[in-house]
Amino acid sequence: MNHSGATGVPQRTGLRRAHWLVFGGVLLVLALVGGALLYLSPVLALLDNHSPAAGKPGSATVATPPPLDSKQRINILLLGSDNDQKFKQDAVLSQTMIVVSIDPSRHQVTLLSLPRDLWVEIPGYQSAKIDLAYAKGGAPLARATVEKAFKVPIHYYAWIGLNGLVRVVDRVGGVDVDVLHPVLDDNYPNDFSASGYGTERVYLSAGPQHLDGRHTLQYVRSRHGDLLSDLGRSIRQQQVLLAIQQRTVGMDLVTALPTFARDLNGHLKTDLDLVRLTQLALFMRGLHAGDVHQAFLTPYVRDAVSPDGQQILLADWPAIRTYLHQLFGGDLLP
Amino acid sequence: MRRAAAILLMALLTLTACTSNGAAPRDPGKVVLPVKQVSIPGRLYATKGRTLYRFSGTHLTRLLVGTRLKDPAVTRDGARLAFAQLQDQSSTIVLADAGGQNLQSITAASGPDGALWAFAPRYSDDGQQIVYLTDRGKQRSSPQNLQPNDLGVWRYEVSRGLSRQIVAPIPYTGGESDPGLRPGVSEQLLYTTYLYGGSPPQAVARLTWMSTRTGAIVYLSPDGARNFQPAFSPDGRFVAFVHAGSGSDDLYVMPLGATFTREPRPYPTDGAVLLESGMVSQPVWAPDGSAIAFLKLVNGSFDLFIQQVAISGAVQATGQAQAVTHGSFLDADSRLAWSP
Repeated sequence: MNHSGATGVPQRTGLRRAHWLVFGGVLLVLALVGGALLYLSPVLALLDNHSPAAGKPGSATVATPPPLDSKQRINILLLGSDNDQKFKQDAVLSQTMIVVSIDPSRHQVTLLSLPRDLWVEIPGYQSAKIDLAYAKGGAPLARATVEKAFKVPIHYYAWIGLNGLVRVVDRVGGVDVDVLHPVLDDNYPNDFSASGYGTERVYLSAGPQHLDGRHTLQYVRSRHGDLLSDLGRSIRQQQVLLAIQQRTVGMDLVTALPTFARDLNGHLKTDLDLVRLTQLALFMRGLHAGDVHQAFLTPYVRDAVSPDGQQILLADWPAIRTYLHQLFGGDLLP
Repeated sequence: MRRAAAILLMALLTLTACTSNGAAPRDPGKVVLPVKQVSIPGRLYATKGRTLYRFSGTHLTRLLVGTRLKDPAVTRDGARLAFAQLQDQSSTIVLADAGGQNLQSITAASGPDGALWAFAPRYSDDGQQIVYLTDRGKQRSSPQNLQPNDLGVWRYEVSRGLSRQIVAPIPYTGGESDPGLRPGVSEQLLYTTYLYGGSPPQAVARLTWMSTRTGAIVYLSPDGARNFQPAFSPDGRFVAFVHAGSGSDDLYVMPLGATFTREPRPYPTDGAVLLESGMVSQPVWAPDGSAIAFLKLVNGSFDLFIQQVAISGAVQATGQAQAVTHGSFLDADSRLAWSP
């Protein structure tokens, strides 16, 4: 009597079932990974889009920056340009230069605004206003200039243009800002007109209010009615950065990040990779108002005229270095 | 490598989603009333998306549909409205009856000096004068020849149909804001002056008291601070205002002496009573002085609130402020108005 059939059939059936289970599992994983890649494709496209010139030639920084989840301070150079609608990207001045310094061990962030008219030595060039560095050599030269002048190591950079800021603010649903002064400007540059030139009239009343992207741009950019000039703009820029951060506190990053990336493609350049970008977003989301320290160099600069007749700011470098030591302690370059 | 990072990121995001508070608040595009509605005594006006809304009892009415406006004002008897009508690059002060009919423009959209702004009208107690802001009288400006266009305070006499400037703006400060005549004493004006002060210089906003008879002014708040959006109580004895502190814009009330004097020390703002903390704007008193309405940022939306107050020598809050709207994104840069 052959009993093999009685015992052999269930064994084969069990094996087949196991094979199908493994096959199904692999398919499921592949589907999940494929879905994740498809879903995140805008983010990947955005990060692939960063300028190849964004490496670090000329940089004094160590080759591998510390990870964002370590206890070491991370400095990101935030660059902003408001004439990218008119000129070739990478050939524009950086009207905004803010060092965002993240100190994970103290759970603190310092925003240090660098005045765009500050007269510094640009590596490989003569002395010039600091905003020229980005126009001459993109992010690497801007980074090298900041490191050389201030001895602040720059680990990453992010550049954003006019449209980028408008899109970020609109994507987070606008920002809530206490407008410090009434903003009136009869000659505000209308870069979004058909020609990219021309002016328009702008009015923003003072006091707490909700601003959409376009009005946020007007707030940070207008300077014709502000006696504080560049300092006034720096204060407003930091105010809006904080307002954007506050707005993202309750956001669902799963749905937000790919949409953000799609909006910003072509308007944002950065050398932050995907994982660090996410770590940064998570860190920023957990910040409270008291965790952010705002810093300005205004007390340590004075008005002057350059040899070629430009209105510039000259720095009191010893005073600036003392101030930076107060801000960053021993985390400065030698 | 990038693909591996994407997978790791997906895992991170999935974990994050578990602790997420949900999507950022969005403007619903309409005024939303809470389930437990607050009954409004009289008529309270506010704008959302530059459209005028009237809250009365538990009724909400949209007025002047199709007109883009801000800064509604109302006469003490509630019979007449005033507001700033917005065009593309200019604005005018327009008067209307309580139903939003019979419109009458009292300022021009442009003059020899170019297009003009006009904002923030406020009626005097007797309804015979309107104070407002405008950049009329500025010099013509161009990108090659920049000129300031700050806002000064002007007064319109209803019976004569004439306007004249009563406060000239300080150039390159943005100018004055929030003008209002003192009830019962319309020769006294209260407004906000925007300046720069301190070292390093910073934005300053000072409450400014003016005798329109003599032109003399005194500050009611110190230099180096930001106090703004003053609003007189109906009897003229108290002023509600916003004080910007460290990271918040709080609602305060202070008494104001009956007669116009030299600059008072200590400043009346130093002894003011805190009524509400947070990001508050545009306080306005109830016609009988029993409450103050204001806009406050809650969960990413500016909403309308009412705080009941008791006056016994000083002003005190009674109970907690009640929300009139919920998640409505009202215009926090537009004044409120309240009539019987």
